[in-house]
Amino acid sequence: MDERDFKYRLIIPLALLLIIVMIYPLGYSLWVSLHDFKLTSIGQEHFIGFSNYWNILKDHSFWRAISNTIIFVVLAVFLEFLIGFTLALMLHRETTPFRNIFRAILLSPMFITPIAVGLMFRFLLNSQLGFVPVILNKLGINIDWFSYKMALFTLVLIDVWQWTPFMLLLLLAGLESLSQDPFEAAKVDGAEGWNLIRYITLPLLKPVILAAIIIRMLDAFKVYEYVYAITRGGPGEATETIQYHIYRVGFLYFRLGEASAMAYLLIIVILVLVLILYHVLQREHANL
Amino acid sequence: MRRNKIFTITLLFVLFLVACQPKAPAETVSVTEGSPLQTEVTSPTKQAQPASETVTLNIIMEQVPDYDIVAQLSKQFEEEYPNIKINFDAMPYDAMRDKILTSFLASDANYDVIIVDNPWMDEFAKANFLTPLDEFIQNTQDYKFEDFVGPVREMGVVDGKIYGIPYYNYALGMIVRQDLFDDPKLQEDFQKQFNQPLTVPTTLEDYLKVGKFFKDHGTFGAAMQPQRGYKIFEEWKNWLYGAGGNLMDENGNVIIDNDAGKKALNMYIEMYKTAAPPNSLNWGFDESLRSMASGESATMISYNWMLPTLNKPDGPSGNLAGKFALHEVPGGKAVLGTWHWAIPANTKHKEQAWTFISWLTSPKMDKQRVILGGAPTRVSVMQDQEVWSQGFGQAYYETVLKILEDAEPLARGPHAEEIINEVGTFLNSAVAGEMSVEDALKAAADKVREISAKP
Repeated sequence: MDERDFKYRLIIPLALLLIIVMIYPLGYSLWVSLHDFKLTSIGQEHFIGFSNYWNILKDHSFWRAISNTIIFVVLAVFLEFLIGFTLALMLHRETTPFRNIFRAILLSPMFITPIAVGLMFRFLLNSQLGFVPVILNKLGINIDWFSYKMALFTLVLIDVWQWTPFMLLLLLAGLESLSQDPFEAAKVDGAEGWNLIRYITLPLLKPVILAAIIIRMLDAFKVYEYVYAITRGGPGEATETIQYHIYRVGFLYFRLGEASAMAYLLIIVILVLVLILYHVLQREHANL
Repeated sequence: MRRNKIFTITLLFVLFLVACQPKAPAETVSVTEGSPLQTEVTSPTKQAQPASETVTLNIIMEQVPDYDIVAQLSKQFEEEYPNIKINFDAMPYDAMRDKILTSFLASDANYDVIIVDNPWMDEFAKANFLTPLDEFIQNTQDYKFEDFVGPVREMGVVDGKIYGIPYYNYALGMIVRQDLFDDPKLQEDFQKQFNQPLTVPTTLEDYLKVGKFFKDHGTFGAAMQPQRGYKIFEEWKNWLYGAGGNLMDENGNVIIDNDAGKKALNMYIEMYKTAAPPNSLNWGFDESLRSMASGESATMISYNWMLPTLNKPDGPSGNLAGKFALHEVPGGKAVLGTWHWAIPANTKHKEQAWTFISWLTSPKMDKQRVILGGAPTRVSVMQDQEVWSQGFGQAYYETVLKILEDAEPLARGPHAEEIINEVGTFLNSAVAGEMSVEDALKAAADKVREISAKP
């Protein structure tokens, strides 16, 4: 048997699987995005070229959803990195007491399904029933967690609560895999504290940091559950994220043509972002 | 070697095609008791059922108290019609629309009977997803279709054909703490302050006065529901009617941004800022109900059937039970919400589905349903003395009838769902202070025109 022939035959099942679960849906959704496809009038759709795309580009709500999502992603990932990195440094120190217990406790939020986290915080922060407002009121603090200005930041905080552990996990693994030699050399030269972190830890950890940030950013772009469970995009359009917006247009209004076009535009935005980050990552690798 | 490759690819392709082939039409038929067969059998054809076979009707329902009553009554139906079994699929509201649509699009309907919320009626009927019921109604003796309250009945009619039979109403009324309105001290203070007696408000101007008055006397004036989307539009449109406005005029022109609209939204925002509980921008009907039940607020505009819940002795209101009363909203004209029974066009059990619907909504059974606590839809039932004595009292049913007779839905047409959600987003932005009243209403009007122009 020809070896080359054999190896191609081996990938046929995988290729077919990919065609069925990825290529076909992608191709079909592209086709849908070029038609006035509505679930209540299947069979009556017409080819309309890029009309859906042009209409979306002119739609204020779409851009509001995109900007909300970008604000959410940037704030959430930044805070998750900051807190995750701090916690990772603390847990990495051998002098920290009960390290293993803390590690287990700190990782637990990310094992809860996001929709449950959304419902949990909906009640915890509820102005009538919530535990958090009651405690804050006793301290003389009155925060409307779901006011127009606060609601998106509240969702960011919930995401930070749930996904900082993921950042912590990756950064801690990165820290533990670092060679100790540069640290010892730096210490011999008199470096300590912040200087060690700034000039040794951070540069050495850069590939891990970038990978963690890319993974979290891609994941944060998919934010939907908290919005669905807590705010439904409100007040106004303050928490309307792009995934929730696509859901509304596609599955509440049944206009799958527009929803598919939005999904494609989102893919383009994310692809550009990933390409930039990937480029940065590659450059960092090359510099090492 | 090449033959082997072609064979492998062909085999996989054939397997794929077989897997993707639509299922042959099949229906599940359970065999009646007394038949030698007691297990479920599957018939591969669409032939009519022999008399001895039992048809199982799959019915999608929203998981609300009215469903419990229907489920209870359906046992009686199964006794009277042993050849028809009822299988309910009860679920939260959010899951229903997708499931119903999926059933419409399937070659073999998942549901034989569905319930349709009023914003979906035109959309489903115009897409030919529903069975016209005119002939069924004509051929059913003593059904008295005209007995359903006019506006409720009309919600099931699309382009002159009847597609829905009223199941229950959720028209809005004003629920108040009657004990506060009857309090002599408060009456005296109100008289002194405004030089008029303290009564349940019948105009928007009086409602604002009453709201602020109660706030100044230790109870929030109104438990409002300014939550984005459906909720705020559902509440605010009563204010819009009260100010003499509407979403569209008789010719279908969008008029939500006229002077009446601006007046209604300005007054609504004033009430929110001066008399509603703080931090309630995101409140829906759960929160306002809790606010009323806890004694925090004096009035709310909400579903008329919330009154029995609030007055229930062992209900959420505790010691306040019995102190609530239902009135018409200020201005009289209210927002109408309805659920209708309907038969999907793609079910094979239309006859049996109609048997169930016509039995449950017949004057006799509708009366039983309302006595058990269901929301009424028939005039005769709301005027029945037995219903008054065994249900929630004469005053309640008479007020509900008045509300229903002068009520109009939020929106009609195939885009009603989208219009309601979009208008509700702009209204909420105005209440949040993110948009001015003028800008919000203009944006809402433009959006409604844009949506209405879509195919």
